[in-house]
Amino acid sequence: MSIIKTKDFGIRYGEKIVLSHANIDVPIGRFFAVLGENGAGKTSFVKALIGQNQQISGDLQVNAQRIGFVPQFREITRDYPLTVSEFVGLNYNQGWHLWTNSSEKEAIQDALKRMALLDIQNKRLGLASGGQKQRAFVAQALVQNPDLLILDESTASLDHEHKVQLLRIVKQLQETENLTILFITHELKLVSEFADGYLLFENGEATQGEASQLQSLTTRLTYSHFEDEVHHV
Amino acid sequence: MFSYSFMQNAFIAGTIVSIVAGIVGTFVVARNYAFLTHSLSEIGFAGAAFGLFAGWPALLGMMIATSGASIAIGALESGYTKRDNVTSAISALAIGLGILFLALGHTSTTAATGILFGSVLGISRDDLWLLVALAILVVAVLLVNYRSLRQLAFDETGIFLQNWRQKSVRYIFLVMIALSVSISSQLVGSLLIFVLVTLPAASARYYTTTVIKLMGLAIVLALFGTWAGLTLAYLTNLPTSFFIAIIEVIIYLISVWQFQKNA
Repeated sequence: MSIIKTKDFGIRYGEKIVLSHANIDVPIGRFFAVLGENGAGKTSFVKALIGQNQQISGDLQVNAQRIGFVPQFREITRDYPLTVSEFVGLNYNQGWHLWTNSSEKEAIQDALKRMALLDIQNKRLGLASGGQKQRAFVAQALVQNPDLLILDESTASLDHEHKVQLLRIVKQLQETENLTILFITHELKLVSEFADGYLLFENGEATQGEASQLQSLTTRLTYSHFEDEVHHV
Repeated sequence: MFSYSFMQNAFIAGTIVSIVAGIVGTFVVARNYAFLTHSLSEIGFAGAAFGLFAGWPALLGMMIATSGASIAIGALESGYTKRDNVTSAISALAIGLGILFLALGHTSTTAATGILFGSVLGISRDDLWLLVALAILVVAVLLVNYRSLRQLAFDETGIFLQNWRQKSVRYIFLVMIALSVSISSQLVGSLLIFVLVTLPAASARYYTTTVIKLMGLAIVLALFGTWAGLTLAYLTNLPTSFFIAIIEVIIYLISVWQFQKNA
């Protein structure tokens, strides 16, 4: 069964066509890399998935009860006061009670456990390492128990070791919990070790492929726009 | 000291204002609204000057001006304009108008300094009731919206699915800041809003790690400064605002120093 299915799907901003005639089919429980140059329509596509893009045409089916999204930029200064667990709980904003009730505590603990953050849950997030922060960002998106998790360049600011560590944990979530992962990234080589498939946004079109094809994509794309991104980090 | 009714009034007013400032300040500091808050107090000055010119109570003029300005700032701030620049523009306009109304209204210097520097010892029982009513309103609205506000202030980026409630909570928050600025300036004056709204919460950030504890400590620090300031003012005959400012700044500097030492 598919979690995302589009037929002749298009997105535009006024006169500008961002995406047209896209036929995408992402099965439940897969890890997909979302690739493409900046401005190629990756973000517009994600916005459409979460219902924030109005100018769409064609057919779009999203069979997810809840979507978790990990945004690309977040400013957490050193004096950011909240602990890792308090930060993870911020996304739990139903009701109006001031205290943390038991079901909420449980959900937070569960998210911390899934992201291997239990031992630093009482650490101030501002003083956590880059890798720990990224894991906390993912944990916050997991609190609501999504069945589709979208990560927007979550590894971009990390060193190689922590990139791999984060991707391993995310891969484990996919394998053990059948969670569908969309991983927006420029780091093709890195993600090709973890992804089952990819969506490539290029020249207003979206193409879909299997993991085995990622290698050939690597040679085709690495020496154009992707190379900069890889070496930047 | 408490045998004088003006001191009783001052302590009651100080207590109410400190509680409101501690709660609002927690979210103001988290959302980096310190500059906006300061500007709102300048806008409040213009509103108060207009109030006196029009023959209204200064507080009413202040509340109208700050609420209006906060909504305008909220509407203008977006991905395209920098919040601080929008705020500067609106507050520059406000101060200009404030000076104009002071001149046009031939307002006495005492009234003008009262607005700018606070006049806590001149607060009457009637003022007190109004203050209590406003404080209850602000605190109730903030607590009812606590969950959404907490996320808006401490991690706005995390809100990717904006529903109507999250959109409206931004404006609700801005108007509540405006009202608390108006309330607080009764105590420390519009020039020293920083002292009660921003500094206690900014200091509390270094000692606490949950939103509720942060609010609690901010209230305690604001109360301590206010009570100590009023007592010292009574004993020395020097301005209350001066003492509150000095106390809160010292607490802030100590907290930063301790954090840097330990972190």
